[in-house]
Amino acid sequence: MELGISIALILASLLMILLVLMHKGKGGGLSDMFGGGFSSNFGGSSVVERNLDRLTVITGIIWLVCIVALGLLLRP
Amino acid sequence: MLTAFTRAFRTPDLRKKLLFTLGIIALFRLGSVLPTPGVHVENLAACFDQARSGETGNIYGMVQLFSGGALLKLSVFALGIMPYITASIILQLLVVVIPRLEALKKEGQAGQTKITQYTRYLTIGLAVLQSTAFIALARTGQLFPNCQQDVLLDPDNIFGIVTMVVIMTAGTSVIMWLGELITDRGVGNGMSILIFTQIVAVFPSELANIFQANKFTFAIVMVVGVFMIAAVVFVEQGQRRIPVQYAKRMVGRRMYGGTSTYIPLKVNQAGIIPVIFASSLLYLPQLITSLFSTSDNMVIQWISQNLATGDTPIYMATFFLLIVFFTYFYVSITFNPAEVADNMKKYGGFIPGIRPGRPTAEYLNFVLTRLTAPGALYLGLISMVPIVALAVAGASQNFPFGGTSILIMVGVGLDTVKQIESQLQQRNYEGFLR
Repeated sequence: MELGISIALILASLLMILLVLMHKGKGGGLSDMFGGGFSSNFGGSSVVERNLDRLTVITGIIWLVCIVALGLLLRP
Repeated sequence: MLTAFTRAFRTPDLRKKLLFTLGIIALFRLGSVLPTPGVHVENLAACFDQARSGETGNIYGMVQLFSGGALLKLSVFALGIMPYITASIILQLLVVVIPRLEALKKEGQAGQTKITQYTRYLTIGLAVLQSTAFIALARTGQLFPNCQQDVLLDPDNIFGIVTMVVIMTAGTSVIMWLGELITDRGVGNGMSILIFTQIVAVFPSELANIFQANKFTFAIVMVVGVFMIAAVVFVEQGQRRIPVQYAKRMVGRRMYGGTSTYIPLKVNQAGIIPVIFASSLLYLPQLITSLFSTSDNMVIQWISQNLATGDTPIYMATFFLLIVFFTYFYVSITFNPAEVADNMKKYGGFIPGIRPGRPTAEYLNFVLTRLTAPGALYLGLISMVPIVALAVAGASQNFPFGGTSILIMVGVGLDTVKQIESQLQQRNYEGFLR
């Protein structure tokens, strides 16, 4: 049981990292932060991005559930 | 002020954005307190209290500040925003060094997107390194040197430890995504709002600590804090406006240009970044001394006496000089007078009394250099405050009104309010700031 959830958790984590990296990065890094420069805001996301969002949210929920479940299982 | 807030909430799209941002912040805080599976929560809490009351609580300085206390709780979001910041700093420096990156940066929007993408990859790499390092520290008990209890449930289970590392790395990528979601659909810049959240989150408990320890100190801290916030707001808002006049042009039968605007040069053009650079650099001596703590080499002895703790004159002087240097360095990276002058010339603009082209660039450079001098001094002085307070009054390093946290809070706060205001202005004209 514990092993199964751990493996599922590792898979979900790796998938999560992959999905986040597939997103197009918004914001121009550090120069944007802390009030330097100005960020251009061109709204509207493509269909690909929206599907990617949906997939990421689902993976995120699975990831979170796995963490909580494993945390409860491993409690001494 | 309050009516502006209610108006912000009465505007449908702005209300949606604000609620979205608040929701993300709530998720983020939830992840910051959720312990990673495999951590012994009770033992960890005991060790944490012990470290807090002792003097070793401030080794992790900046990292701890940015993680809002999540780091020493070994939570899912333990690494917080720090890998992203480190990655951004590294890429920012590499842009100066590597010609290919410089070419990308000059490309404009597309190149910038590519650099952001590299930053994201680097963030994940750093997250793997840092989470491995912290779990290893926790495993061998070095995370809390004075605490004898095991902070992990099963320190010898390699599979469990790998799982923890993977979870923390994924947590970092989730934080990155949350930040981008705020930038994209919420209010303000996501990453800075997340940092803001973490700093504000530890505020009440820090204040309560001081209040319990000594009522008189508490009063003094509050008064000093209010004055410092006022001073920081004053300087952050300060700018020199260089007038620019655009020539009138006839294109066909239409008339273009003829407007007069200004280039705003802020007193503190570099923002908070020099302080972050300087503290990251000064973290290195501490690292070296902790690695070779037993060696009786002269150099290492000297470093551990003079540079490893914050209350020696040499440390303060180095910190101050580094901040001044990095302020100039960062301003020279972000604002290129020659480029601005070129752009102005292209669109027929000029500064009254100064010829376009090279003289304009020289003038801008002169003004900016002169303006940055007080800006750099101000940054240095503000960030010295907590160190001086530490040396004089024996207050803790995590002094809640510490220079860096105030700079970040005020900077991010002002920025976000300005963004909300500009959105409000699309509907009506009165905002928060007058």
